[in-house]
Amino acid sequence: MTRYLLRVNGERREVDVEGDTPLLWVLRDELGLTGVKYGCGVGLCGACTSHVDGEAARPCVRTTADSTRTPITTIEGLSRDGDHPVQRAWRELDVAQCGYCQPGQVMAAAALLARDPDPDDEAIEEALRDNVCRCGTYPRIRAAVRRASRIMREAQ
Amino acid sequence: MISRRTLLRGTAAGALVVAIPVPALASESLMPNVFVRLDDQGRITATAPRPDTGQGVRTVVALMVAEELAVDTSDITVEQAPGDTERFGSQAVANSSSVRQLATPIRTAAATARCLLVTAAAQRWRVPVTECVAKDGAVCHPRRGKLPYRALVRAAAALDPATVPVELTPPEKWRLLGRTRGGRVDARDIVTGRTRYGIDARPPGGLVAVVARPPWLGAVPDTIDDTTTRALPGVVEVLTLTAPGDGQGGVAVVARSTHQALRGRDALRITWHGGTPAADSRAWITDLETALPASSPINGVQRIYRMPLLAHAPMEPMNATAHVRPDGVTVWAPTQDPGGLRTQLARQLGVPATAVRVEASASGGAFGRRIEPDPVLEAVACSRRTNAPVQVLWTRADDMRHDSYRPMSVHRMSAEIGVNGMPIRRAHEVVTWPLTVLPPFANPALIKASGDHFPYTVPGDVTVTVRPAPLRTGFWRAVYAGQFLYAEENFLSEIGTRSGLDQIALRRALLPAGSRLHRVLDTVAARARWDKPARGTARGVACHEDYGSAIAVIAVAEPESRRVLRVHAAVDVGVALHPSGVRAQVEGCVADAVSTVLGAQITVREGRVVESSFGDYRWARIGHTPDIDVTIVQTNAPLGGLGELAYPPAAAAIAAALAGGAPVTGMPFGTDVG
Repeated sequence: MTRYLLRVNGERREVDVEGDTPLLWVLRDELGLTGVKYGCGVGLCGACTSHVDGEAARPCVRTTADSTRTPITTIEGLSRDGDHPVQRAWRELDVAQCGYCQPGQVMAAAALLARDPDPDDEAIEEALRDNVCRCGTYPRIRAAVRRASRIMREAQ
Repeated sequence: MISRRTLLRGTAAGALVVAIPVPALASESLMPNVFVRLDDQGRITATAPRPDTGQGVRTVVALMVAEELAVDTSDITVEQAPGDTERFGSQAVANSSSVRQLATPIRTAAATARCLLVTAAAQRWRVPVTECVAKDGAVCHPRRGKLPYRALVRAAAALDPATVPVELTPPEKWRLLGRTRGGRVDARDIVTGRTRYGIDARPPGGLVAVVARPPWLGAVPDTIDDTTTRALPGVVEVLTLTAPGDGQGGVAVVARSTHQALRGRDALRITWHGGTPAADSRAWITDLETALPASSPINGVQRIYRMPLLAHAPMEPMNATAHVRPDGVTVWAPTQDPGGLRTQLARQLGVPATAVRVEASASGGAFGRRIEPDPVLEAVACSRRTNAPVQVLWTRADDMRHDSYRPMSVHRMSAEIGVNGMPIRRAHEVVTWPLTVLPPFANPALIKASGDHFPYTVPGDVTVTVRPAPLRTGFWRAVYAGQFLYAEENFLSEIGTRSGLDQIALRRALLPAGSRLHRVLDTVAARARWDKPARGTARGVACHEDYGSAIAVIAVAEPESRRVLRVHAAVDVGVALHPSGVRAQVEGCVADAVSTVLGAQITVREGRVVESSFGDYRWARIGHTPDIDVTIVQTNAPLGGLGELAYPPAAAAIAAALAGGAPVTGMPFGTDVG
């Protein structure tokens, strides 16, 4: 066991784990951030998608030892009150069914819009290609990303 | 808290049958039955008796209660009922039945509360009840003003409900039900990560277990060397799960954290024996085909369809958390049947049902898999050994390789064609496996009843031959209808193409007069502009009537590029209580259809399931998903079910569209089965 200092959702958090522990389990088991979802553990499904240094990343395939230098944002830290434009768009279009993959979808969409404020369908499909939704909410996700983009532009 | 009276009680079917007024003692809350509660602060709590697996039942419950109590859904707290069939009747999310079976008792419960509140206000004001109306959380009178519910709860609770006539709000006065506005009640929690799924249960002092599962079908542990495992940090216990009541069997490693449990499992040295290490799914499909009767009863057009194994693969892998104490057990589980689970655990543990608490967590998808208790049984075994709460977590590979799969099947379709090119006699011979998770589903008659919903007026026989299942099989969205209808509709499409008939006209001609399918078929044909086909595209059509609902689907594809472009569906569920939810269920079924037609299948080689994750179980991604256009046809038919309805016709229509007039021979489209 080793002590690691992480920067998660704007706070400094200390954890005491084996260095090879995937960041996913540290976030979920040690820090109680259960909005970060386990779906596959090997970077294939996107359910755990969070932001590392502002970019969409998969905590299930990053070790804790490799995660100490960069700020990490999970779904719990995306917005103070759940009103990030992506979260608003998701509610307006009633995207979710079971909802399990949606924190990951929301985080992937937020990262996309941060670097490309007006993505076309191709860019949306590229950014969300590896976020699996087993309920089949994809058409609404596509529409909600476009809606979020509009909300962001209208706010400017 | 004293419950004042129980007016209505669910039965095993969830229907409304019994009225038991319990004499009032003191009156600080109004609880017309187990589904609705008002307290003297005016807080309204609705209880969702069945779990939400993504089908949106919590939202429909909130809409029904808000409608009848003349408030908004945001005024209502939805509580999830624990397992308790005595109080809630059947709690099984199965057979697309939740809304159908809950609508009457829940609407009646909320309407009863409203009528009691209105009566209490009328008595206080000494005015006729007919002059009072409930609106925005208060009872209003044109001259007396208004009284909020909280001021009326005590008086209402003291009334004898038997003396107060209850009227449901008629559909023409609905503000919420049947309207498009308003999404899921849990939407904010979902997009902020606050929803607690089964996997998020974190009881204090809880441990985590993962199970080393058989490396090939049916293998059982021979020797187990856990020396290295036990020496690892955080590992608490290693136990062998062998009893029938322990689930599917294996060696469980219990540790303080998930990562430690996974490392512990990796370090186990186990030798296995028994089972079927040579099993191969290609041989299974051949075996099914060989079991077809020597000759078909009809000598005419013929086609054989082969259907693959499918896994459920919900986004939240199988898991359950249990805490066994001397005085009872608490379970936190994403389950499709908390009530049945509680009954089973009580029987198995030899304790009264009151000693078993089953908390029904939100489920990250279910699709039929979570009707089974095996992860819960594993958690109970681990907790009993360690005297601590234990969560059993299945990795994705565990989930995909130890599922209860949709059975393989072979369908031989034959038809005699009349002078006008239409089928005049048909035979559908099925060879398949039972559902091993529910023994009655070895009965061919039951399999036929599940699968055969042929709506067209072509006389003929459907025969089912059942072969022993070589692995676990279970309920998968739409159950056997997914295989049966795929063969039937694709065969009908092939006949239409051979005879040069229009696929819509053919179906219209074959549907009996008065069938509900006429209207949805005409509606979907108009939506898809059937008379104006686009160059380079091909279309497929399919109809389905089941669960008291009817649906017609048209898929548009580009056969050259194997792309599904658009799917149109027109659906008649009687009255659609939550239209956005209705569309969502159809969209979900279409996504399943795209996935399974385009390539997701489970295969077995050398005794083991090959696919282990979303890399090789090729479920559709956002870029594969067509535009989906759902039209809701509102009719006066009784409420119908929907969760599974659209899968079979969507799969059939998509395959026919991709084939572009060539015969379809099975699923996935254009790939070897098995």
